[in-house]
Amino acid sequence: MADIVCAVAASHAPGLVGLFDGAPEDSKAAVSTMYGALATEIAEADLDVLIVFANDHLANSRVLEYPDFLVGMAAEHRGPYEWFQPWIGCRSYALQGHPEVAGSVFTGMSHRGIKFFGRRENLRFDDNLSVPTVLCDLDTNAVPVVPVLQNCTVPPIPDQRRCYEVGQALVDIIANDLPDGMRVGLFGSGGLSHEPGGARYFYIDEEFDRWFLGLLEHGDHDKLLAELTPDRMEQSGEGGTAELFAWFVVLGAIGPRQCTVLGYTAYDNFKCGIGAVRWQMEV
Amino acid sequence: MSLDRFEPTLVTHDLVQDLKWDPDLRDRWDKDRSAVLDHYPLADEERRAIEEGDFRRLYDLGLHPYLGGQLARLMYGNAAGPEATVSVNKLVASLTGGAE
Repeated sequence: MADIVCAVAASHAPGLVGLFDGAPEDSKAAVSTMYGALATEIAEADLDVLIVFANDHLANSRVLEYPDFLVGMAAEHRGPYEWFQPWIGCRSYALQGHPEVAGSVFTGMSHRGIKFFGRRENLRFDDNLSVPTVLCDLDTNAVPVVPVLQNCTVPPIPDQRRCYEVGQALVDIIANDLPDGMRVGLFGSGGLSHEPGGARYFYIDEEFDRWFLGLLEHGDHDKLLAELTPDRMEQSGEGGTAELFAWFVVLGAIGPRQCTVLGYTAYDNFKCGIGAVRWQMEV
Repeated sequence: MSLDRFEPTLVTHDLVQDLKWDPDLRDRWDKDRSAVLDHYPLADEERRAIEEGDFRRLYDLGLHPYLGGQLARLMYGNAAGPEATVSVNKLVASLTGGAE
C-alpha cells in the first residue's frame, strides 16, 4: 500500500514568471511566499513520485480528438515546449518521470471504468507544469513527476463531481496498485479566476477566489461539490476558472482534510487570481 | 466570445494547432500568411476574419477563446512582456469594439 503524504494546489499563470518583476511588491511577496511554502512542503515530503493534475490548455491534442485525461508516461519530461518558452519566460527543464506509476494510473483508471489516454512521448508543456516546476524547483530537487493533463476548457468538460470521482479512483489505485511504502504527492495546478482569450482577459474575480479558498479551509466537500459547477466557474472567467477542477481531483483523492490557504493575490497583469493551498496529510 | 458559440469543427482550430506545433509552418506564416491560409479549407468569412484580425467575428463563428488568444500571439507577438501585452490588447479591442 502506497500513501499520499503530500497534497497541494496552486495557480499557474505564465505571468508568475515572465511578468513577475513588473508586479507590485505585495503581489511579488505573496507569490514568493506561496510557492516557497509549496517547494518546502514538497521537498520535505521525500516523495517517490508527485502526480500533477493540470489543464492541458489545448496543447497536445486537436479539438476533434480531445481527451479528458492524458497521462504523461515518458521517462523524462522536458519543457516548456518551444513555442511557449518566450511567452512564459522561464528556464528549460528536464523532470524525471515515472513510467511505472504512470502506467499503473492509466491501467488502474481503465480497470475502474474511467477512460484515460496515455502518451509515451514527451508532452507539450506550457505554464501548466512549467510554472510549478520552476517556482517549486521540482527539477533541481529531482522529484519524479507524473503529469496528468486534463480537459478543463473544451466542452463538454469533466465537471466537479466527475473530477472528484477520478480522485476517489486515484486513491484506490494508490492504495492497492502502487508498491508498498511508496510516498506519493498530489498537486492540483490551475485557477483561480481568469478568462484567457476572452473579452475579460484582465478580469480577476477576487470575491469568487476568496470565497472558494474559504470553502476549502472550511472543508465541506458536499458544499464544494454542490456550489462549484461549470456554470459557476464560467461566471468568474470563461474557459479559465474551470481549471480548478484539477483541485477537485485532489479533493476526491484525499477526502475532507484540514486545509491551509498559503496566500492569495490579485494583480491584473497576471491575468489570473493567484492562490495556493496545502492539505494536512497524516499517514 | 462565449463558449456557447464554440464550434468544434471550425478549421481555424487546426490552423492554430499546426502553427503552435510546427516551427517551419510558423516561419512560412511569418513570411507569407496568405500562402499558409491557402492550404486550409477555410470558409470565405472565416479566412477574411483571420486576415482582418477580426476576433469578434471568429468567436461568433465558433473559435475557441483559448485558441483565439494564441492566434493573437501568432499574429502580433508571443514573448512575455510588451509583445504578449500588445497581442492581448489587440484581441480584447477586437472583442469589445474598444480602443487598444
